[in-house]
Amino acid sequence: MAVPRRYSGSRFTLAILVLTSVTLISLDARGYAPVDNLKKAGIIIVQPFRSLTRTVFDPVGDAWESLTNGDELERENALLRTQLDELLDYRIANEGAVNDLAALRTQLDLQGLGGHDTVVAEVTAGSVSNFDPYVLEINKGTQSGIREGMPVISTGGLIGRIENPGLRDSRVRLVTDPTVNIGVLAIGTKEIGILTGNGVDQPMRVVDGIPISAAVEVGSILVTSGLDRSPYPEGFAVGSVVEVIPDEVNLEKELLVEPTGEMNNLDFVTVILYQPPGMD
Amino acid sequence: MVVAAIKNGIAILVLLVLQLELFSSLRFFGVMPELLLAAAIAAGWYGGPIGGAVVGFSSGLFYDLYLATPLGLNALTYAIVGYLLGQIATFLSDEAEWIIRITISVVAVTIGLLLFVTFGELIAEPNLYNRSFGKILVVASLYTGLLMVPIHYMMAWAFDATRLFSSGFDRRLR
Repeated sequence: MAVPRRYSGSRFTLAILVLTSVTLISLDARGYAPVDNLKKAGIIIVQPFRSLTRTVFDPVGDAWESLTNGDELERENALLRTQLDELLDYRIANEGAVNDLAALRTQLDLQGLGGHDTVVAEVTAGSVSNFDPYVLEINKGTQSGIREGMPVISTGGLIGRIENPGLRDSRVRLVTDPTVNIGVLAIGTKEIGILTGNGVDQPMRVVDGIPISAAVEVGSILVTSGLDRSPYPEGFAVGSVVEVIPDEVNLEKELLVEPTGEMNNLDFVTVILYQPPGMD
Repeated sequence: MVVAAIKNGIAILVLLVLQLELFSSLRFFGVMPELLLAAAIAAGWYGGPIGGAVVGFSSGLFYDLYLATPLGLNALTYAIVGYLLGQIATFLSDEAEWIIRITISVVAVTIGLLLFVTFGELIAEPNLYNRSFGKILVVASLYTGLLMVPIHYMMAWAFDATRLFSSGFDRRLR
């Protein structure tokens, strides 16, 4: 029979640890710089171990993904074939859209990708938490000119913005995060709305701002508006409208939007070295 | 004391790297195990309330470095869970079967996740309570439970569990 042992001072130890934790939470939430530096120092210390093990575990992760996503890949393949057929038809009907976009860019004096310096970064990890699947880790940081809030694009368009950049690595907050809001402009119109993330594998939404009479339909492309204090430069594709839900009461349209930027199985992304006026 | 601290440091580092580099890819239904929470639980078992709280705080703090949630949120949760497990383990028979240890550990993981989300909600941290919460709770607890045995061995090694025999707290592995 075990004899329960009293641990003298255990409550005191717990109290000290709880107090320390609460203090750290409070300081970090207020953006206290030394705590931020402590985080960055900790990451730098562990980084060599991560790099070492990454070379070993990366193939294991890839093998696991191919095993667990095998059926999904087949479904995706079939879906993509169907979409390709649809797109070929769609292209014939919409060849003029590209010219329209170019004309609109000129008309609105929108800057293209070439207007900003960029940094290409490798995606080193996805989310490392069960509760926050909306992040990527990349292998470039402040040493490469990356700063907090800079937009990140992949093939197809905007996918997120930089969060908490370290010296040689950064975190990317994806546009699918429900806390992310982006001012968007519907191409071919002057309609501006707020695009909000809606979770993993869920279409993003524009709930307010698009009048019911606006010429925004399924297939319309939304680009960053770049207005006011928007952290994003204007004219970057964010998503395409996949469903329009009319709201007869408020005389507005709710838009469901699929991101145009590729977010799955990414190897590289491009960081636009852009900071909104007043943030330089 | 110093040796135990070094051993625990090594155990936490190994589990942290495994969590970040291996198990973030090896997901079941999009959910990964909570290895560092498991370390706090096992530390409570072999190190008592103080060992559980200190290891829980340390492992949570290291994990916090990589998360968008405020620094200290995991540390707070894991320290409390480690402490509670330490208290519970004190009153359990040394003859406790593995199945009991694992069951208690799985329940503790669930409690840890609930506490984490509760604390997060209290400080208005976004994204913690979401539509996948139930799935995360169930899958993460069971998945972590599958990995509890090696983690128990690791923390028993870190605390040199046989050393506790003389003080009447024998948590030797059988």
